[in-house]
Amino acid sequence: MMKNFNWSKYSKPIILVAFIVVLSILRPKAFLSLDNFSNVLWSVAVIGIMVSGSIFVFLIGGIDLSIATLCAFSAVVVVSVTHMLGDTPVAVIAGVLAALVVGALAGAIHGIIITTFKIPAFLVTFATQSIFLGLAMVFTNNKIISCTVPAFTAIGAFKILGFPLPVYFMVIIALISWYILRKTVYGRYVYAVGGNPTASEISGINVKLASIVCYVLSGLTTALGGIVLASMTQQASSGTGAGYTNDVITAAVIGGVSLLGGEGTVPGAIFGAVLMGLLNNGLNLMSVPSTHAGLVKGLVIVVAVAFDAMQHADQSRKKVKKVKKASA
Amino acid sequence: MKRMNQTTMRRLISIGMLLILVVLFTILAGAGKGKFFNFDNLIEVVRDASIPAIIGVGVTFIIITAGIDLSTGSMMALVGMTMANIYAYTLLPFSVMMLAGILVGLLCGLCNGIIVAKFNVPEFIGTLATMSIFRALTYIIAIRDANGVIKSQPMNHSQYTWLGTGIGKFYYVIIAMIIIVAAGQITLKYTRFGTNLYSVGASKKAATLSGIDVAKTRLIAYVITGFTVAIGAIFTTARLQSATTAIGMDFEFNPIAAAVVGGVALSGGSGDVIGTLIGALFMATLENGVRKLSINTAYQYVIKGAIIIAVVIFDATYKARMDRKAREEGAKEGLE
Repeated sequence: MMKNFNWSKYSKPIILVAFIVVLSILRPKAFLSLDNFSNVLWSVAVIGIMVSGSIFVFLIGGIDLSIATLCAFSAVVVVSVTHMLGDTPVAVIAGVLAALVVGALAGAIHGIIITTFKIPAFLVTFATQSIFLGLAMVFTNNKIISCTVPAFTAIGAFKILGFPLPVYFMVIIALISWYILRKTVYGRYVYAVGGNPTASEISGINVKLASIVCYVLSGLTTALGGIVLASMTQQASSGTGAGYTNDVITAAVIGGVSLLGGEGTVPGAIFGAVLMGLLNNGLNLMSVPSTHAGLVKGLVIVVAVAFDAMQHADQSRKKVKKVKKASA
Repeated sequence: MKRMNQTTMRRLISIGMLLILVVLFTILAGAGKGKFFNFDNLIEVVRDASIPAIIGVGVTFIIITAGIDLSTGSMMALVGMTMANIYAYTLLPFSVMMLAGILVGLLCGLCNGIIVAKFNVPEFIGTLATMSIFRALTYIIAIRDANGVIKSQPMNHSQYTWLGTGIGKFYYVIIAMIIIVAAGQITLKYTRFGTNLYSVGASKKAATLSGIDVAKTRLIAYVITGFTVAIGAIFTTARLQSATTAIGMDFEFNPIAAAVVGGVALSGGSGDVIGTLIGALFMATLENGVRKLSINTAYQYVIKGAIIIAVVIFDATYKARMDRKAREEGAKEGLE
């Protein structure tokens, strides 16, 4: 009986329930309160927004190491532009648009450099990570700039039916991503490019354009994540979003997105975001300082990715066995 | 005339870049006492380049196997903090303290190696994870004051801090760098292990088929990096005369940048330690010059990132052109 149990099919809900049960037992009062519920939601929302776009990059076998600093830079842009234009609601809209344009441009630059010169994505985004950090520091003069304009803080704090606005952003963006990946031709292209770029090229897909669009989408959601974070904390600095690169990558990997490309779904990634949100919250409730949390998160990444790599090796071994059997 | 070897050409380009930078800063920031171009300041540049160059030796080994290590900065902090604990809480001699530091470095390298080579986790992800693990461990073992607040641990005993000085202006760290770079270059060019590194980087499949233990070769490269990081941490703490949790923050960028500027291809299989040394000198000159011109240091991050991208784009286009030429020539020879 146990042999037929499809662990990979049910592993996600089991892990999630186990997590919630453990936290409820360890910190019953703090974890099960309504206040904490919205804390978890906020944390989940930011990671969920970002991973819904970054998944496109992961699916084509790319990576984005600049998530955290692009997040900081776009947070700085939205706050600075809002201040520059006189802190009016219109200024907030202009600021948000400016930050989104910055995100899209950053993504486009990533995509163009990576595809035109065939340079590994991790290297390009590793270099631009430093550039965005520098720009964020230059724009803020290395200080924290605060922004308490009501129209701006509403982005993170306004609630509809008890849920904060970022949760709706997450749901809408996740649905859009899901739709693009599942129901459009472009979505098929993304999986094809990730599965086998050469074969995709031969079968007539414009691999270069498809890849660039992936990076633009990732840049857009990263910028939106930065806007939401800045609004929630009512401030922006070069440190905004620190640690989110790891959180987003971990969310994707836990959610079954393979960093080797071609594999993964939006619901999976959102599940990863929920788990990361719970993990962040749990570490917080167990009063693990954020400086120590990196230990747990780092271990989670290593284990999740190693597990994924082992499964892939297993699959290819099985394939070889099958072929051998067939030929025999 | 025989066409110049591609590697020699690349070496000349990186030396040229370094010279141009020196000339540029001499013009902009001036020569003479207190300015950019004078003996004292240039020695300072070499001193600043030493630690990225020492750690760059290990990182170069890794990059030659087509790998990467993003954890060197955090690893440095962990080694430094381990030594700070021994310094603060024991009466062990300094040699034992340094040996313990080296041991921790080797262990960290071993962890990276196992994760990457045995569990096949992509290098940049595995070392990105250990980057946050090592930093977190540093915070966990950090020295705290009576109120539990993390403090910087002074390590100012003269039997230790002499390492941060030198014979006059000839700093010990520079001597250590020369020895380690020479040892690294000899290992690469004249030992079987060195040849194996290049083979693994050029093609893992071909290396496996020709009987090289690919996993072991990659693992050793990571362990060697752990060793060089520990040496870097010893000299850093001796110079700072203290250990803090912030040591090596954003440092991982430097040895990689040095290797890239020095012509170590990130696709693996080419480059050498001398190239990384030139790259480290280039980056140190850049930092020093920017400081001398009193430009906002925030721009340094922008300039460094832009330079890496520019060099990598240059290498990619250059390599594509050379490959095309070689193919065309091969085709011609085939016709004849």
